[in-house]
Amino acid sequence: MRWFVKAVGPRKIFEFVLLIVFVIFFLGPLLNLAILAFTGKWNYPDVIPHEWSLKWWKFVFQQEDIAKSIGLSFVIASIVTALSIVLCIPAAYAFARIRFPLSRFFLFSFLLTHAFPKMGLYVSIAVLFFKLGLMNTLPGVVLIHIINVLMFMTWIPTAAFRNVHTAQEESARDVGASPLRVFRTITLPLAMPGILVASIFTFLNSLDEAQGTFLVGIPNYKTMPIVMYSIVSDYPAYAGAVFSIILTAPTIILLLAAQRFVSADVLSSGFQIK
Amino acid sequence: MSKQVKMGMLGLALVIPSFLVLFVIVVIPIVISLLESFKDKNGRYSFVNYEHLFTDKLMRSNIIFTLEVTIVSVVLVLIISYALAVYMRFNNGVAVRWIRRTYMIPIFIPSVIATYGLIQLLGNHGWLARILLQAFSVESMPRIIFDKKGIIIAQLWFNIPFTTMLLGSALSAVPNSVIESAKDVGAGFLRIFFKLILPLTFKTLLVAVTFVFMGVIGSFTAPFLIGPNAPQMLGVSMEQVFGVFQDKQMAAAIAFFTFLLCSFMGYFYIQNMIKEERSRSA
Repeated sequence: MRWFVKAVGPRKIFEFVLLIVFVIFFLGPLLNLAILAFTGKWNYPDVIPHEWSLKWWKFVFQQEDIAKSIGLSFVIASIVTALSIVLCIPAAYAFARIRFPLSRFFLFSFLLTHAFPKMGLYVSIAVLFFKLGLMNTLPGVVLIHIINVLMFMTWIPTAAFRNVHTAQEESARDVGASPLRVFRTITLPLAMPGILVASIFTFLNSLDEAQGTFLVGIPNYKTMPIVMYSIVSDYPAYAGAVFSIILTAPTIILLLAAQRFVSADVLSSGFQIK
Repeated sequence: MSKQVKMGMLGLALVIPSFLVLFVIVVIPIVISLLESFKDKNGRYSFVNYEHLFTDKLMRSNIIFTLEVTIVSVVLVLIISYALAVYMRFNNGVAVRWIRRTYMIPIFIPSVIATYGLIQLLGNHGWLARILLQAFSVESMPRIIFDKKGIIIAQLWFNIPFTTMLLGSALSAVPNSVIESAKDVGAGFLRIFFKLILPLTFKTLLVAVTFVFMGVIGSFTAPFLIGPNAPQMLGVSMEQVFGVFQDKQMAAAIAFFTFLLCSFMGYFYIQNMIKEERSRSA
């Protein structure tokens, strides 16, 4: 043992142990689901299933409410993303480029969405929705999804617009480009990675939102995570695992596609002013 | 109209729509639920909900349970995330590179899925129990799922990656040259940490504390799926009071109580952000 430590170096071994702990803790639950989803039979106390099969995939797709929830989730997530782009990107541009009264107050007002514990805020909103008759309606569900994304959907693009050098815009103006043209051909493309990350983050956030929808959308708006709540108790683990993979797949696909742009710096600009 | 006024109007026009949405779905609900929480069943103003909140035995144990889970989670998350972020900042081995590449994945995994995975892994007769039994003949595991431990583990799973990301981004802004010159004059690691790294990242640390604290207190999915039936965390209890017992006033009172618990944190976070912005534009 000692020669091994000497040969490899204690630092390498420490890092290796760190990696193992990290992988087991964070990827263990996901790996477990991945195995369960392709299992035919797995009796206690075997460590590995002794029969692999795809029969649970067939089972899941035959359940009507599950198939319906997948469609519904994507429709809601698309509406939320489109709506928040329309609402937030102009605001982000204004924060980054235009001097207007109370701009700082408006910029910080978005903090309010993250200054309260989530479930408490949702219950307060549900009390209001109840009075307005928005419970169990599509606008109600969309609004509750928008709360979560309002802040970073404004702040990440604000940071992205701010990072575009004004010198570049000015030189385009100097050679005679109109303000709109400068925005279209210079500012927007340069800020695009930030906007893209924010939009993807919004889409995924809406796709995964569970607690708010559970409070205001039941029983007509059962999105994927809501169906998952009942799957946890009502279905065998194999079916739950299959559905988990279906629910996680969009996340993985979109993240891989946008991998180049997603970085800790961009993401954290959505939660703090830097 | 002068150009400046025109630009000012344009700026306001661009910002107002999103601000209105914010106003309708955050500010108004909070005011309404505050008023609602002071009403009894007949709509008269009274303290009956808050009285119930602090005198009912079950409610009191819920509050204590929530605070316990929250404080333990916050402390553990901060220690682990900060250590991990500092280690990743100043080391560059193969293992570290792999962690850096993968640690953000859990941020994007739906919380329902992660919770479900944890149930399958750590539950009675789960994968971990099987592996421990086969490999080390460990017969019985402590109860994790449907227990406080399960909730805390889930909170660690959700919050460590996000906190590490925030802290990691703050640490990467600490210039190497500063650290190098401190090393040159013979400062040890602890000294560098307490004199340089900690002060330079302290603000982000505060942001992180706020997010984790509020995230845990306001959490629903993990305690709903893997918490014990009693005592419950306040998020679950709120949902039940609202949805099952249909007692809106009581639910509003619990919601408001969680706001109060977080108000100090929220205040510091907002203050801090405003100060930061001011120094930026000054």
